Amino acid sequence: MSAAVVIRSVEPEGSRQASRMSAERIRLRTLLTLGCVMACFVAIGGQLVRLAMRAGPDIKASLAEPLGRSWSRPDIVDRNGRLLATDIAVPSLYADPLLVLDLDEAVEKLASVLTGLDTAELRRSLADKSKRFVWIARGLSPRQAQRVHELGIPGLAFRSELKRAYPQGSLAGHLIGAVNVDNKGLAGIERTLDETGKVEPVQGTMRSPKPPLRLSLDIGVQHALAEELKRAVSHYAATAAAGLVLDARSGEIVGAVSLPESDPARPADWLDTTRRDRLSNGVYELGSIFKTITVAMALETGAATLDRLYDVRQGIAAGPYTIKDPYPQGRPLSVREIFLHSSNVGAGMLALEAGAERQRAFLGRLGLLEPMHTEAGPVAPPLLPKTWGKAETVTIGYGHGLSVAPLQFAVATAALLNGGEKITATVLAGERERVPQQRVVSSATSAKLREIMRLNVTHAAGTGRRAEVDGYRIGGKTGTAEMPGRGGYQEKAVISSFLGAFPMDAPRYVTLVLLFEPHSGEGAGDRITAGVNAAPTTARIVERIAPVLGVLPRLVETHLGDGGTFDALRQAQ
Amino acid sequence: MHRTVNWILMLLTLASAVALYVIKYDTRRLEARVLAQERTLEKLEIDVAVFEAERAYLARPERLEPLARERGLGPITTRQYLRVDADVQGAPARAAR
Repeated sequence: MSAAVVIRSVEPEGSRQASRMSAERIRLRTLLTLGCVMACFVAIGGQLVRLAMRAGPDIKASLAEPLGRSWSRPDIVDRNGRLLATDIAVPSLYADPLLVLDLDEAVEKLASVLTGLDTAELRRSLADKSKRFVWIARGLSPRQAQRVHELGIPGLAFRSELKRAYPQGSLAGHLIGAVNVDNKGLAGIERTLDETGKVEPVQGTMRSPKPPLRLSLDIGVQHALAEELKRAVSHYAATAAAGLVLDARSGEIVGAVSLPESDPARPADWLDTTRRDRLSNGVYELGSIFKTITVAMALETGAATLDRLYDVRQGIAAGPYTIKDPYPQGRPLSVREIFLHSSNVGAGMLALEAGAERQRAFLGRLGLLEPMHTEAGPVAPPLLPKTWGKAETVTIGYGHGLSVAPLQFAVATAALLNGGEKITATVLAGERERVPQQRVVSSATSAKLREIMRLNVTHAAGTGRRAEVDGYRIGGKTGTAEMPGRGGYQEKAVISSFLGAFPMDAPRYVTLVLLFEPHSGEGAGDRITAGVNAAPTTARIVERIAPVLGVLPRLVETHLGDGGTFDALRQAQ
Repeated sequence: MHRTVNWILMLLTLASAVALYVIKYDTRRLEARVLAQERTLEKLEIDVAVFEAERAYLARPERLEPLARERGLGPITTRQYLRVDADVQGAPARAAR
């Protein structure tokens, strides 16, 4: 018989107790972990509720809002820090076509508030529901924006953008230039700002952190120049005018006006050819003021002295034409008198004496045969004769046959008057370091030229005597250039000009005044010559700007007998 | 011993997590404040720019000249300059001519 063996697992009592304790621990741990997790969830939940209850930052965004980009630009100021151009924030109106409920009503209401709105184009744009963003009008005034807001049209919204503002209006408009609707430079200094990396793309209305661009212009001078030129245009019934005030030593343009003016706030003005900048965007045969260069060339080459006589009684042959003086003196003239009486024959003889090669080289040295640039952009390149023979040498001698921009001409003559050093024109104030420049004529030639230019104003026979202003020692040269037209030069359509400088004993400023197609005016009779219009206009300008520029008058009344060379000349007459 | 260390480390981790969480939200709140202040600054800068433009507009020579002339002011003339050693007896009359 076999005994049944029952095997029982026998668990010791201690082990069972340990197992129970372990299970208890696990339960405790689980509860603890669960508690922690729950606490985390409660904390997160509490934080969510807290954030939801707190007012968040005032940031509102719409899916329909465009990722618009504008350009922030540095301010532009004049040489004394007076504001010429700045960025301001303006509201621009846009629409989400999907949210516009009544298209006809929206277009009709908007047209009643925003003048010049292209309603057909707007209707077409808003009808396209696939688009979520359509510009309606940019750069609105606050008043316009308020009126649109009051219309209460659904689907419309505003966003702020930077827009260029020009507080001085059209004053200096040609130099400043213009920007487009995105605040990007199109012309003038504004364009230069873009090209030199001084503008930055921005979202919104963040203004440029860059320092303002300081121009060499003086707003006071600019205003006086513009006012006097406007007065001259009105007084002499001229079609246009231009004026320039140039620092003869540094090349800084202190004033530059071209009439009719161009408003920087209206970029369309740049497409209007009648509003072009006549100082730098047009080239002209400047007539007798060019004789300044011819005489300087003759004196510099040593071919002539101021007292050397030339027989100007006979005309001078230039190709098929014979050049004669409009007001012949009937006697030989010295170089000084050729300048004073503005003798075409005399200037032609001086040019012929120097010869075509020397003339060309001299003009080249003055920078009159090469294109010129300023920070405001390129200057119209000179128009040179196809051939440079005897006829061209003669005609260029008295200011015909070579067309240059008035600015380029003024810069060239400044070098002749400042002691003989070539200058480079600039529209920026104090940016350029003064470095020794190329000498174009000797200081002796420059002094002689200054003497005869002053004499032209102080002498009874001088063509520029109406340019005299007590105390400021103006010197200058008149020019009356017939304008080319159909069938040749037009006798009655002229450019009257006066190239001046003051104070003539040590010229600080060069001025150039041009009147286009002037007619008779009070004090001018039937004459349209520069002596009766451009010269007195220069006098009025200098009288106003000299105190602004800090040029002190020589007190002739208290200086009798000890006046400088130039006033002594006047007293002697 | 190990268990105690583990407990301490776990508690430190949890405490760090909570601290990080608080700092993160503080940072966000501060960022929002900075953003708001930047926006205020931007708006003020724009307001200043508008005021400066308005001041320049009001002070433009074209506007000031007629106002000045109404009050008898004008560009200084050569007669109004005098040498310091000049006889100043007749100066006012001369300047007024």
